[in-house]
Amino acid sequence: MTSQAPAIEITNLTKRYGEFVALDSLSLEVQRGQILGFIGPNGAGKTTTIRILVGLLKATSGSARIAGADCLSETKKIKRLVGYMPDEFGKYDNMRVSEYLDFFGAAYAIPRRDRIRRIDEVLEIAGATHMKDLFVDALSRGMQQRVALARTMMHDPEVLILDEPANGLDPQARIDMRTMLLRLSDLGKTLIVTSHILPELARICDVVAMITQGKLRAAGTVDKIMQEIQQRRTFEIMLLAEDQVQSVATKVEEWIASQPTSEDPSQAVAADVVPAITERMVRFSTALTDEQLAPLLGELVQSGDTILQFREVATDLEDAFLYVANEGSQPLGDMPRASSAVIEEAK
Amino acid sequence: MNPVIRREFIGILRSPKTFGMLLILTALFSATVILQWPADSSSVSGSKSLEVFRIFGYGLLAGVVFLVPAFPATSIVNEKNGKTLALLLNSPLSGPAIYLGKISGVLLFSLLVLLCSLPASAACFAMGGISLFEELGLLYLVLFFMILQYSTLAMLISSHVQTSDAGVRLTYTAVFCFLLVTLIPAAFLRGTTFFPPALLSGAEWLRCLSPLPAIMEILGDGDVGSSGLQQASTITRFLALTFFTSLIFSGLTLTRLNYRIFDRSKSKGTITNDRELSKRLIRRLLYIVDPQRRKTGIPWFLNPVMVKEFRCRKFGRSQWLLRLIAACSIVSMLLTFLATTSAESWGVTTIGPLLVLMQVILVVVLTPSLASGLISGERDSGGWEILRMTPLSTFRVVTGKLLSVVWTLLLVLMATLPGYVMTVLIKPDLSFQIQMVLVCLFWITLQALAISAAVGSLFRYTAVSTAVTYVTVIACFLTPMLVWLAREAPFGHGTVETALLLTPVGAALNVIGASGFENYQLLPAAWWVSGIMSAAMFALLSLQVWRLNRAV
Repeated sequence: MTSQAPAIEITNLTKRYGEFVALDSLSLEVQRGQILGFIGPNGAGKTTTIRILVGLLKATSGSARIAGADCLSETKKIKRLVGYMPDEFGKYDNMRVSEYLDFFGAAYAIPRRDRIRRIDEVLEIAGATHMKDLFVDALSRGMQQRVALARTMMHDPEVLILDEPANGLDPQARIDMRTMLLRLSDLGKTLIVTSHILPELARICDVVAMITQGKLRAAGTVDKIMQEIQQRRTFEIMLLAEDQVQSVATKVEEWIASQPTSEDPSQAVAADVVPAITERMVRFSTALTDEQLAPLLGELVQSGDTILQFREVATDLEDAFLYVANEGSQPLGDMPRASSAVIEEAK
Repeated sequence: MNPVIRREFIGILRSPKTFGMLLILTALFSATVILQWPADSSSVSGSKSLEVFRIFGYGLLAGVVFLVPAFPATSIVNEKNGKTLALLLNSPLSGPAIYLGKISGVLLFSLLVLLCSLPASAACFAMGGISLFEELGLLYLVLFFMILQYSTLAMLISSHVQTSDAGVRLTYTAVFCFLLVTLIPAAFLRGTTFFPPALLSGAEWLRCLSPLPAIMEILGDGDVGSSGLQQASTITRFLALTFFTSLIFSGLTLTRLNYRIFDRSKSKGTITNDRELSKRLIRRLLYIVDPQRRKTGIPWFLNPVMVKEFRCRKFGRSQWLLRLIAACSIVSMLLTFLATTSAESWGVTTIGPLLVLMQVILVVVLTPSLASGLISGERDSGGWEILRMTPLSTFRVVTGKLLSVVWTLLLVLMATLPGYVMTVLIKPDLSFQIQMVLVCLFWITLQALAISAAVGSLFRYTAVSTAVTYVTVIACFLTPMLVWLAREAPFGHGTVETALLLTPVGAALNVIGASGFENYQLLPAAWWVSGIMSAAMFALLSLQVWRLNRAV
């Protein structure tokens, strides 16, 4: 692979099953040594993309290349270049971990002497050296994931594609998995990781791609995605007393409504203002910029309201994901359901 | 109504496959009678109806043996692995209520299978010459008790195994043992004076555990079943034994239907290499192949898939293969010894056919168990995707898998050869016949392997593939024998000869000079048929593997 060529290059990838479009003109690039977090709700097309990348599935149109090798026509090359860890472990009964890895090493035609050394190496990277003589079918889920990762690395692939590696793992095992993936990235490997545990991805991924209904909705660094998706930000105003909540909420609503929009100055700005009496809090979401919003605090202070805090609620990858998953039908940073329920109860 | 009965029984009934199966069974039973129904009203006599009744009875027996055990064999283990057994045990339902619900569901379904045969049995009865209670009624009673015994046995096995395919495998093996292996001791010991009478009596009782003598007695083949010796009714003994064994099986299963069913100690995998020197030395002395010694890597000249198959099979490991081979050698030698020291009628000409039959039984029991899950096992466990990602070619994967079965079968069959060696030593002029028999055995093994591998590859789940493969292989090897049993009537010489060509078993028995097989010309046609059928099955396997392996 040349240093300039992207590790993974997907161009207008489409997969159709009859009328159903599983992937719709997906285009994506991952640079060498990057970790790509591939996010999407169930049935979004993540596994379809991965299966096309590893040569298990044929695309209807478009192309996918890994390290310059075509995923469909150069499957032999792809098998050497890619290490694929599917969601299912693929255990074999009555086999010890070392025998299990020995089999896959032999399948990749690694000479016996190198294979024995490689087994120790990959077990060390996966933090599974102590599992070498254990039976594969007696391992816990977390242990199996480590062994699966070791298996994926046996032939020293350039690109690792991991489908839900943190699925079913306890918090400690998730932290360990995260450390392992970062270690692999340090070794110069390119990684594609799918996961539903988004905070995990946000911590380790260089780039993130979000896909829903077979379409790529957003791609880039986590910060860039936030900027792209985050059209409405959520703010919280914490007050001293509960009786202030309703009046402040009204003031905020009126103030925001009086602000001109950037597109059409004659139109009022839409605002979602929710008073949370028991929390002594007013929450609102708006598309106004910092500059536009700055005078609001001064107005409230001037009107005599005692304000303890005025802060923006940090949105994370999970919010962004929910926004993308719902295709923007739900405004970003909407109240969490639990809080809304509390508010309803308080009313 | 017990909710478990409702779910089990109605669940089975709702399946379109069950409906189709019941429909096919009804059609098959009816067709059997219609085909044999005399065209001329004057020929409606007792003898003709008995001929039809005989075919119908054996067909019904075969149908029940093939179909019934598959359902209870997976009943408990599926609940356990699906985590629903824990929910059931946590509900107010008691263990006996759950068991009753499950067994009732299976029995009700089995009754439906029997009901499917009612139109055909009514037609038999209408032909006259058959007693409603002493023959027809008794046949159904014996079959019902047999169903009860096999269902309770299958449930017991299901409560002990960890996977559904292991349940199916063990159940069919156990059913086969109850059906045929129980007949062997009596066949050998009868007429000898060498053994104490209590042992002979025990062997006679053991023989009655099989439904075959009872069914044969009802169908008027009592003489064949008892090898020409008069004895007490086997039907009463069968009913009594079946009832008690069913009670025992049920009791044992009930002791498992509590928290203990979830207890499974998982071996952490002790390694001899890491043990202290004294223990290492002791194990070195005691074991030819130490199962706990760390393995060296797979050498370059071996197909890794073949080695993997041996290693991941519980009984595929070297130490187990050695034990199996030793057991087969001992049994083979023992049988020859017993045959030559038993009653005068048992000479080497009799032991030959028995050895052939024993080997066929071994092949029929062993091959589906080894070969049915070659592909479905990988698909079921998620290993197929991972195998596809390796650079191993499809050809190498399939040959590796097939070779692992071929070697096992060859080793086991080789272990039974000492019996033939003894036979040749006693009667050297049988040498040529034995060589021909060995060729037939090769074709039998190849055919069983091809059918098992091809049929097994068609299914996604191992349990289903194992059950269907067992049914297919047993049907393929048993059908010609059933037709042969009715060789004098209603089937003619031509029909029987054609049926016997379906597998080389008839040819092997013909070559060895087994009684009743002398008049058929089966070679080399049987080898051709077997070869063509095996080739077709391997082609089907290749096609299926290609289909599964391609990117679509």
